[in-house]
Amino acid sequence: MNWKKACCLVVLVLFVLGAVGCGGGEKPKTDAKKPIKVVFWYSVGGKVSESTKALVEKFNASQKDIVVEAIFQGSYDDAINKLKQSIVSKSAPHVMQVYDIGSRFMIDSKAVVPVQKWVDAEKIDLKVYEPNLLAYYTVDNKLYSMPFNTSTPILYYNKNMFKDAGLDPAKPPKTFDEVAAAAAKLTVKDAAGKVTRPGITIAIYGWFFEQLMAVQNAFYANNENGRAAAATATAFNSPEGEKILSWWQGMVKSGVAGNIGRKTADTQKAFIGGQTAMTIDSTGVLGDIVTGVGGKFEVGTAFLPRPEGAKGGVIIGGGSLWMLAGHPEAEEKAAWTFIKFMTAEKQQAFWHINTGYFPVTLKAYDDADLKKHHEKYPQFKVAVDQLHSTPITRATQGALLGVFTQSRQEIETAIEQVLNNQASPKEALTKTAGIVDAAITRYNQTVK
Amino acid sequence: MAWRNIGRAALYLGPSLVIFTLFVFYPLVKSVRLSLHETNIVGVEKFYVGFQQYVEIFTTGNFGHNLWLTFLFTLYTVVPGIVIGMGLAYIANWRLKGIGIFRTVFASPLVIAVASASMIWMLLFNPSAGVLTFFLSKLGLSQVNWLSDPKWALFSVCVVSVWRSLGFNTIVLLSGLQAIPEQLYESARIDGAGSFRQFKDITLPMMSPTLFFVFIVSVINALQTFGEINILTQGGPAGATNVIVYSIYREAFFNFHFSFASAQAIVLFLIILVLTVLEFVILEKKVFYR
Repeated sequence: MNWKKACCLVVLVLFVLGAVGCGGGEKPKTDAKKPIKVVFWYSVGGKVSESTKALVEKFNASQKDIVVEAIFQGSYDDAINKLKQSIVSKSAPHVMQVYDIGSRFMIDSKAVVPVQKWVDAEKIDLKVYEPNLLAYYTVDNKLYSMPFNTSTPILYYNKNMFKDAGLDPAKPPKTFDEVAAAAAKLTVKDAAGKVTRPGITIAIYGWFFEQLMAVQNAFYANNENGRAAAATATAFNSPEGEKILSWWQGMVKSGVAGNIGRKTADTQKAFIGGQTAMTIDSTGVLGDIVTGVGGKFEVGTAFLPRPEGAKGGVIIGGGSLWMLAGHPEAEEKAAWTFIKFMTAEKQQAFWHINTGYFPVTLKAYDDADLKKHHEKYPQFKVAVDQLHSTPITRATQGALLGVFTQSRQEIETAIEQVLNNQASPKEALTKTAGIVDAAITRYNQTVK
Repeated sequence: MAWRNIGRAALYLGPSLVIFTLFVFYPLVKSVRLSLHETNIVGVEKFYVGFQQYVEIFTTGNFGHNLWLTFLFTLYTVVPGIVIGMGLAYIANWRLKGIGIFRTVFASPLVIAVASASMIWMLLFNPSAGVLTFFLSKLGLSQVNWLSDPKWALFSVCVVSVWRSLGFNTIVLLSGLQAIPEQLYESARIDGAGSFRQFKDITLPMMSPTLFFVFIVSVINALQTFGEINILTQGGPAGATNVIVYSIYREAFFNFHFSFASAQAIVLFLIILVLTVLEFVILEKKVFYR
């Protein structure tokens, strides 16, 4: 029996050693010249992450005092979940890329340093930055985070199909009614009357709903979109909200709009593959779409459609860079230096060309490479025009909502119910508002 | 002497006790605690609310509906999983040249991670470029939105889940088949039993412990399904695939409602516990152990 006992002992010892090993950290080196380490969490994967990494490498190569360690944390949602744990265990990163709708959560977490602190300390002139962007991330007159990657939705259309259907490819539809009418003309049916190619296909994405509210200058949440004071209820259960769903439902019902689910990747494929004549998508995928189409047809872009007479604009969402609290002053300053680098014109021009996100600084538009890029993709001008023609109002600033992630998801469910004729727009929005309102009430109780 | 025994037992049990305490008992206790409180946005308990979360589970929201979906999902995956697995195991038990290759092929879903399997199926289901859509159109049938049509989504996810479970089921059932002594069949044949009779009176009873094991494991796996749902449908469309574990995950990690999610998790735990006990009490009587 002795050898068994010995085996057990060995296993036990290994086990204890393992546990101790996990707990023990490396000893900090007392090297005065060691560069300051800044931990940066980023979220957008795929092609975009290549550009993020490239920018970080450029920063590390550009100077010797600071080393940025960039760590990919999965989707925005995953990253926020990891952040929650790191706040509790006091191991938050220095800088983190967070999506627009996470802003209220970040502020309420009380674990952030508003970048305004450093803007004031270094007397930075914010005029060079895109004003619509600053408006989004300014809360209570404080700029909380630095805009980094931003995009807006636009209408993409197939110019060749427009010509074939007898529509003028130079005059894309502007209003809900015009889109519906164009979609009807662009829809192709077989001999039996079955739709073989819908005129428009839109992914069920809550972001589009938020944008279509903003173009009507309508609020998504009360207290002026949660910007005059913290929101206490939703505001999307309104005639404006219903208008969006009725328009969408009407087109799906008559077969002129396709419904292939929530994934924008799928609607992109359908558009590129010529299986639909129009789609709505982010400006961020313009490059992918134009390259994907190759020379098969001419891609047109247009402003996001709106109901007749609506006077709003698009919300400048996307992501921004947040500074997390709880780090020594020197590290915080290093983190700020990194953020400044990432949002400077040279980097933003590179970022815009490689990802399709808008440059956050106006100076980037003077960049020679960027100008060349715009000559190559004239479709992008529409996106920039749409951005610059948007009036800054509380509606186009976008809503601040602590439970935005849930709200977006509930809206998507509501759209699905409406498109599948399980509920009328009014019923679906009323039910959704009830769920989200309850969540807001609970949220407000717990953040006090 | 008694002390020495206890000491030795502690030595043997120690490592697993530590692991269980860290990863099972502590989280369980913590979940119970969370479920009795209201939590803030980072998941820290703010104030005590008693059984309010439990009351809410049964009075508001979709818990009942999600439970029903979970039941349907279990039914649609466990039964086909075992029946098809049994068929494959039966075929894999034939003595043919090169049967090893077939056995490997049949078992292969076992080694494919749930994420990879879901990605593969996502490509097959793709509405504009999917292989299934292509074959349907070749057959002259209209396009089916496998994952975005509420009528089809649960079925599509079940297909993936069944396919994934086949590898494990086939291997285990095959081992059960191979453990049946050939003499039993031989004497049955001499007595004039046909193949159906042999299956019913020899194979099934002899296989019952294996089938029972596969059944219990499949039910527990089905009740806890997460990966396929998370990647393929995310509970949608319109909540058509929002099975219980996925809805708990959403509640905790997207809606920041940790306390409510914990309460749901505890209820699910109790349901699985009762089910498993019932399965043992009722079904085990029919199991024939040698």
